Amino acid sequence: MNEDLEFGRDTRKLNTEVKGGSAMQVLEVENITKSFGGLKAVDNVSFHIDEGELVGIIGPNGAGKTTLFNLLSCFLSPDSGTIKFKGENIIGMAPHKVVNLGIARTFQVVRPFRHLPVIANVMVALKSPRGAKKIEWLKTMERKAADLLEDVGLSELMLEPAENVGHGDLKRLEIAKALATEPDVLLLDEPFGGLNPLEVDFLTKSILRMHLDEPRRSIIIVEHKLYALMKLVKEVKVLHRGKKIAEGTPEEIANNKKVVEVYMGGPIKHA
Amino acid sequence: MVRSYFRRAYSSFTAHVFDIPPRFMAFLFFLLLLTVPAMQLGSYVLRLLIMANIFAIFAVSWDLLVGRTGQISLGHALFFGIGGYTSGLLFQFFALPIWVTIPAAVAIGALAGFLIGFPCLRVKGPYLALITMAFPLILSNLVKWSPLEPIFGGELGFRSLPPFFPFLPFTQAIMAEYYLILLLLFVSSIVIYKIANSKTGIVFVSILDDEVASKACGINVTRYKIFAFTISSFFASLAGCLQAHILKLANPPMFSLDISFLPVILTFLGGIGTIYGPIVGSYIYVILDRYIMSILLPKAFESVGWTLPREFDFAKLLIFTLIVLVLIIKWPRGLARFATDELQNLEEARDLDERGPRIWKRYKKTKH
Ligand SMILES: Nc1ncnc2c1ncn2[C@@H]1O[C@H](COP(=O)(O)OP(=O)(O)OP(=O)(O)O)[C@@H](O)[C@H]1O
Ligand SMILES: [Mg+2]
Repeated sequence: MNEDLEFGRDTRKLNTEVKGGSAMQVLEVENITKSFGGLKAVDNVSFHIDEGELVGIIGPNGAGKTTLFNLLSCFLSPDSGTIKFKGENIIGMAPHKVVNLGIARTFQVVRPFRHLPVIANVMVALKSPRGAKKIEWLKTMERKAADLLEDVGLSELMLEPAENVGHGDLKRLEIAKALATEPDVLLLDEPFGGLNPLEVDFLTKSILRMHLDEPRRSIIIVEHKLYALMKLVKEVKVLHRGKKIAEGTPEEIANNKKVVEVYMGGPIKHA
Repeated sequence: MVRSYFRRAYSSFTAHVFDIPPRFMAFLFFLLLLTVPAMQLGSYVLRLLIMANIFAIFAVSWDLLVGRTGQISLGHALFFGIGGYTSGLLFQFFALPIWVTIPAAVAIGALAGFLIGFPCLRVKGPYLALITMAFPLILSNLVKWSPLEPIFGGELGFRSLPPFFPFLPFTQAIMAEYYLILLLLFVSSIVIYKIANSKTGIVFVSILDDEVASKACGINVTRYKIFAFTISSFFASLAGCLQAHILKLANPPMFSLDISFLPVILTFLGGIGTIYGPIVGSYIYVILDRYIMSILLPKAFESVGWTLPREFDFAKLLIFTLIVLVLIIKWPRGLARFATDELQNLEEARDLDERGPRIWKRYKKTKH
């Protein structure tokens, strides 16, 4: 069993090597730290994301996952460390500029534009420079917005004001909004939060389809629930109290003693 | 039994009568306004309606900024005053004709809005409201300041600004002015309505709803806010310089708090965020405050043989405020919006014909 896993991991490593180092690193995060007062929400975290990678980040409540996303999308600046997107330092950049560079995010707590119909919610993102540029030739903004909504399965609710739309649908609307700018890196903050198993299933499928349609796009998914991520990602990073405590394949993570301890709320030894 | 039958018949009747698209309603409204001068209501009433139209332009510009973009401005008098004073200055010192002063005033007003946009962007919500409120007060004191009297004319401001139609006799001039202002209201409100319902307008509403989320959509929120400020101040200063030329006067009260609050009241009366609501609100205001309270009421008192005490002027404000309060409490989303909602309900009611109009169902529900 163990050998099998090791073997699987090795071939995966081999694959990226075989690509000849051309598997470009889109996101390089080095030693970033962010404190709120005395609390270190993100503590010296480093990782790299390759082009087209599908990565999960898990961790218990308050682990600093959302803070990490806020740092990556430049809604917050780290106290120290560097974040490079395609080799360019993005720290201190305005959030909308980062989106136009190609990093789009969703919010854990949905943030729809309540007064606007669902389709107009997506059109806001299409009105951004990057969104507008990415509209295919001879396609109207409305058409593109409708297509995006179809991808996430919201076609029927297109003209409904967002304030009348249920929570599960708003979660999907968040994703459609983020996809509208056709990001190179997509950050999904608990896309399954508050969804019923049926909706989780549907969303898992559409994320996988998205991944296949756009193999060069890297997707980072933050989740509480390991089970939902298991089917989706090949690589999981675990945050706990701001620190990255483990990374590896979902199977490895599930069998990792430290991670299990964290999730079971057991005693954890601190250095 | 009989009563409910009548009620039902009535509701389906109204449902059919009101089966008119809003655009057509607006068209009818303007058509009605076009025929007003033919009704021989006298030059005073025409004057009032001219003012109503100017206030409407002013309030519609405010609604775009506040109702659609969510940038609360309690200092729109700034642009109103700048419009009037620019016109006044250009006439006084360069004797420029009206066809030059108005575009210049509007341009300067828009520039002011553009510049005001920058400091105002650093603050939000109530703080923004307070800061915007301060600007017109500063300018008001500046133009009143005695060392600057040779330029701004002190407390008196500019008098004897050129009228629009100096070559026409009095009654015809008023009529011509009426049509000119009506045309300008028509054009400005359509332009603002078009902007508000364009894709840019969608972005405006996204900023009103959730600024952080629109940033996350890649929207340069700053740029859109400044754009909203600029358009809004463009039309607000248009209203200001129109009033200056109609009253032939540009004076410090143009920068007063009263003027700053005027678009707020008008917009809330009509329905914030509707764009057409402020026009309705403006007519309600002018009819209620300037016509019923100032003309009809004293006349009515006179006919009974009473005379109104001088203190009535103060009581008038109180009464007007109370009426506005009641209206806003009764229809918090505005009278115009209430009307359109009701129309929509009726339309839906008609669609549900066989099962009985929805309005009828609602009556039944309330009865239980
Ligand atoms: N703006 C802020 N000011 C102060 N403290 C903050 C702020 N944002 C987050 N925190 C704190 O930082 C820690 C990490 O929060 P974060 O939201 O990143 O956790 P999370 O992993 O997303 O948790 P959850 O799974 O509940 O979403 C928490 O203890 C939180 O209270
Ligand atoms: Mg979180």
